[in-house]
Amino acid sequence: MSVKRKGPRAALVRALTYVLLVAVAAIVIFPFVVAVATSTKNNQDIYNYPPTLIPRENQTVSASSVGVEGDPKPLYSFPDSDATYVLVDNDVSIAEFRRLGDLERVIRVDVTLGIKTGDTVEIDGEQEDVFVVELDGIAVQAYRSRLTSGGRFVNLDDPSDIRFELVNLAEPETQFGPRLSNFSEVLIDKELGRSLTNTILVTLAVVGGQILTSILGGYAFARIDFKGRNSIFLVYLGSVMVPFVVLIIPLFQLMLQVGWLDNLAALIIPFVFTAYGTFLMRQFFVGVPKEIEEAALLDNASRSTILWKIMVPLARPAIATLATFGFLYAWNSFFWPLVIINSGNPDGRVLSLALSTLGGRSSTDVNLVFAGAVVAMTPPILVFLFAQRYFVRNSASSGLK
Amino acid sequence: MSKTKGALIVSRSSDDDGEDDSLAQDLAGRLRLTIVWHLVGAIACVIGVLLASRGGDTQLPWMPRFALQIMFTLGFAGNIVSGFGIRTRSRWARPTSLAVNYLLTVVAVSITLHLFNAYRGLGHLGEGLYKAFVPFLVGCVGLLWVLVAGQLLAKRPTAQGPDQLRKAGWGLASLAGVWFVIAADPTGMISSLARSASRPLTIAVLALTVGAALATRFMWSRPVAQHFGTTRATEETLSGLAFLSPNLLGFGAFFAFPLLFSLWVSFFEWDTTNTGHSFVGFANYIKALSLDFSGSAQANAGNEVLKPGYQVLMHLDWFGQHWVLGARDIEFWLSLRNITVFLFLAVPLAVLPALFLSSILTSKLAGMKIFRAIYFIPSVAGVIGVSIVWGQMFDATIGWINYLLDLVGVTDAGAGQGWLTDRSTALLSMVVVFAWMQFGFNTVLYLAGHQGVPKELYEAAEIDGANPWQIFRRITVPQLRATTFYVVVTTSILALQLFDIVWILSLPEAGGPGFATQTPVLTLYLEAFRENKQGYASALAWILFIGIFGLTSIQFRSQRDEASSGGLS
Repeated sequence: MSVKRKGPRAALVRALTYVLLVAVAAIVIFPFVVAVATSTKNNQDIYNYPPTLIPRENQTVSASSVGVEGDPKPLYSFPDSDATYVLVDNDVSIAEFRRLGDLERVIRVDVTLGIKTGDTVEIDGEQEDVFVVELDGIAVQAYRSRLTSGGRFVNLDDPSDIRFELVNLAEPETQFGPRLSNFSEVLIDKELGRSLTNTILVTLAVVGGQILTSILGGYAFARIDFKGRNSIFLVYLGSVMVPFVVLIIPLFQLMLQVGWLDNLAALIIPFVFTAYGTFLMRQFFVGVPKEIEEAALLDNASRSTILWKIMVPLARPAIATLATFGFLYAWNSFFWPLVIINSGNPDGRVLSLALSTLGGRSSTDVNLVFAGAVVAMTPPILVFLFAQRYFVRNSASSGLK
Repeated sequence: MSKTKGALIVSRSSDDDGEDDSLAQDLAGRLRLTIVWHLVGAIACVIGVLLASRGGDTQLPWMPRFALQIMFTLGFAGNIVSGFGIRTRSRWARPTSLAVNYLLTVVAVSITLHLFNAYRGLGHLGEGLYKAFVPFLVGCVGLLWVLVAGQLLAKRPTAQGPDQLRKAGWGLASLAGVWFVIAADPTGMISSLARSASRPLTIAVLALTVGAALATRFMWSRPVAQHFGTTRATEETLSGLAFLSPNLLGFGAFFAFPLLFSLWVSFFEWDTTNTGHSFVGFANYIKALSLDFSGSAQANAGNEVLKPGYQVLMHLDWFGQHWVLGARDIEFWLSLRNITVFLFLAVPLAVLPALFLSSILTSKLAGMKIFRAIYFIPSVAGVIGVSIVWGQMFDATIGWINYLLDLVGVTDAGAGQGWLTDRSTALLSMVVVFAWMQFGFNTVLYLAGHQGVPKELYEAAEIDGANPWQIFRRITVPQLRATTFYVVVTTSILALQLFDIVWILSLPEAGGPGFATQTPVLTLYLEAFRENKQGYASALAWILFIGIFGLTSIQFRSQRDEASSGGLS
């Protein structure tokens, strides 16, 4: 559809079109934004509701600014006050009182601060001691409803203003604070780094091997008129129809018997032979004018000289396409590693496998799992963005992912 | 064409005319040497058969044992035939000798690598890469640098700057290489190589490798071809097979053989350890596909109304009568039901938006390429990472989906729908993830389809004053029918093999809750690798294969039709 018409109506249509496109783009992008945001959150922030896209950490002040010693102290606020409070001590014994005459009014003070009057009062059929406690500077009568532990908060601007409250009822004062150490933690402590290098090794080997075998095979199919070529090519074409699940069990048996179980060789060697890559190169070589080759043949050049010196330099776009497809396939593959690398030995794991194990085992560390997911997703996305022109052109003709 | 070929042979032979005599003598000597080599090869093959058949503790597993026995037996026969052939100057001698020597080289190289522990060594290489990751990255930067400088140099070949840049890039890369080797610490690998190399078997196989390789090279050479009067056609076949051979050997070992072997296994009761397997004929297939249908007086009858061994799959109420449908493998049938539901929801959701969006993206408005790229990203990002992210978004208490639904007021605040833990929504959630991943890829497929729609149709419609919706409905959709067909079939094939998304999203109970998200491939995996019933799982694989094959062959036919009409190629 070419939308070239002028006038306010056309402008409106155009604007609505862009709104729609942006909305879809937002749906596509949003999970990735969530992934990046969560991967930089700290261990508390991941449980906050409502979820946020900006990683936040508690604001703190140095302990000396409130006259105590130790680590920096976090800041909190309360719904009933504009002031900012410092949590000086988060484990003090607190007594919870309820004011007589207004039982909804809860007064929390240090357990030593209530003074027993000796009187008793009946609450819900129980006899309770009556205490005198201070509420907003006035002494009031109250009964003690329970003993608990909580925090001692000091007003940041007025050190004489001290409150005893339950920490989870206080609102932490937060600020933008990405926790980038998630990445080093997941790569080193959770051993995802080792899986990352394994994935890199497997991917490089598979891509290199696929390029080599596909160039040779594609050239043979395209240019050499040998006996049986067409029937072999037909079998190759047919092989694309076979879903990988059919091959899983026999390939597993084969790897078991050759002793490649739990071994990176099993992730590399069966995958350097690709019918799809062979087609891709064949299609390209078929399109190269024969005259280029014949001139070289007259100069007595051998076939391999022609292939490597003339055809391969011409075939760079096709090779780039093949490399991109191979990269994405090898980097993202999961089912086969799941079958083959099964002894629980982390040294043979690839990234996708390690990530699924991490996501399943310690799903409490969502931020770490997400950091791993970001590490796994970034390289294929970058490769796609850089190799887009090869990719988009050829995915249409592949029919194979 | 044929004239040029004739001329080529003439021009080649005329080159060799000068030093004819000494060459001929040389050739005869070398041919005799090759005959001797073939005898040596024959003996080596006999030893190979004996070594491969050895029993006791070092007995090989049956697969490599059979393979080596067959190959060495054929090798023995081939060597004898080649030796005699060369002696009698038969025209079959050269192809046979080449085949024998080439295959012997490949087998010997594979065995050498095995004896050198090269395959296991890949694991050590991974470890080395981990230790030396920083120099690896520096080396990559260096190579990228060289590449960029090369591009610059190609644009301005005379400039001094890019050339120096390129040299600097090479310098950086080689420095990083040295650093890599030091950091990766290959001393362990070298010492293990030395240990393997000193074993007599290793030396013998290594000698066999070198001998076979040299013989192959010699028999390949032009004078030998002339000696045996190899025709142009044979020469072409030989070089065609030579170029294809790496591919073809891998294809045989890792595709053709496993495919047939899987069919074989599906007729057995076969467990992973290979100790016990017994032939059961079609029993695996019968077990998987068996259904029992029976009427019942009660509304919720149990297994007792079915034949023994059957379990209730579903209850039906037809014509005022209660019916019970039962199956022997209830998990498989439930997974078939799930995948059918999945297919009918996921395919439209992944295809219709693609059809619609592609007809917008094909317009000449600014920024369309950016949107196209964005939409494509989910399909390349990697299913595991993507599934993990979505899994968290679907979380009942702190997930984004519930929060956003609350925000727009679709659900009550704090309703806490457990998308993945609720039987009724778990599969639906996976539909969403699948469609989200797939629609961008389909959009690009459709964009290719748009190339084939004649522009005149749109121009004519615009002149007639059709609005965009009419154009979409009356021109785009009908013109893209073939593309739609192709896209629907490819998406269906992908959907039928659903595994990874379910694996991650239904953790910790694969296929759960209950069997709500069990898929056929998941059933197959669990049977084969948890229950150890590899024969039965192979039968499931073949049932699936036949189902998918039906779809694929339809797709293939349509693709061929389109390719011949120039639609997609």
